[in-house]
Amino acid sequence: MTFTLAVHSSKGGTGKTSIAVNLAAAYAQDGKNVCLLDVDIRGPSLCSIFKPETNFWVNDLLSGKRGINDTIHDVSDEFGTEGKFFVGYSNPDINEIREIARKDRNWQSAALKNLISGKKELAGKNIDIIIFDTSPGVEYESINAVAASDLVLIVHNSSAACDNCTDQLIQGIYSPLNKKCAIVDNMYHQNVLETQDEKKFGIDVVARIPCMCNVATRNREILTLTDPEHVFSKSIYSAKDKIDRRYR
Amino acid sequence: MSENELLEEILKNLQAINSKLDRIVGKKESFSEPSKEDITDSLDIMTLLSLPDHLRTTATTLFEIGPATAEEVSEVTFKERAVESNYLNQLVRMEHVEKYREGRKVYFRIREK
Repeated sequence: MTFTLAVHSSKGGTGKTSIAVNLAAAYAQDGKNVCLLDVDIRGPSLCSIFKPETNFWVNDLLSGKRGINDTIHDVSDEFGTEGKFFVGYSNPDINEIREIARKDRNWQSAALKNLISGKKELAGKNIDIIIFDTSPGVEYESINAVAASDLVLIVHNSSAACDNCTDQLIQGIYSPLNKKCAIVDNMYHQNVLETQDEKKFGIDVVARIPCMCNVATRNREILTLTDPEHVFSKSIYSAKDKIDRRYR
Repeated sequence: MSENELLEEILKNLQAINSKLDRIVGKKESFSEPSKEDITDSLDIMTLLSLPDHLRTTATTLFEIGPATAEEVSEVTFKERAVESNYLNQLVRMEHVEKYREGRKVYFRIREK
């Protein structure tokens, strides 16, 4: 059965895309069939990592112009993963982003239906894992992705602003939608080896990743594939295992 | 008063109570009073989040499973069919959901503008 994760956070810059991409690659390397979708259509990120040549975007799926099969691309051979690895990109063209900013609630309602419909089609294609890389905070596109997911993977960092906003998201969005949640405590500044609470806001912490500058400088690599022994990669693989044990 | 007249009176009172309950539940649990414009727009995720808990669960289920009967929705939500039928009809009155007949079955779906 297909399992869907929405990688979300209350604030920008917490490392959602790095975690979404590396987690997707980790699952694919583990032999699972994976689809990673960039649903941050106001600030597309995956194009800068995967450099696709495509005319069909996640935007087309959400607007109902194209089905999911047209908008995802098989990168399994390129990255040599054991399982199938598909990626769907958001259009980075600024004119398209400006157009998205004008979309009304009716469009967003249809976008949610199209996203759920695309998810069902992927289930029919034997995709094991779907990962949504979302925009931060309360944007229609990210909350649609949260609504369409089985688990929200909250990427959190240890700032007061992030703490307050994450708590509000849990109370005001995830809980009302009855979503299971797990936390990745990213860019952690304290000693990760010290015994820490395994819960934050009453939610399981599946990874505590220390702040490492070389993760940022190597952000065009997928570290779980190019450097699986890196501390970041090991944290991602460990998070993957915990997600599988506790939520799938 | 004849038996028929009495039954009619009871039915009228029940319908009046039902309308008043709809108004009370809507006023108490919504974040804001939906404007006429809000009500006639399609049901988007932010509007869904502002619905009372019981209606939000029903509406979310319809998003997930697509057009369905009250019976089919109740199988997902684990509530009685009659209860889901009531919730679905509330959503129809709020113009978030539309209903249609196929043969002998009545289906509900998220209203599209």
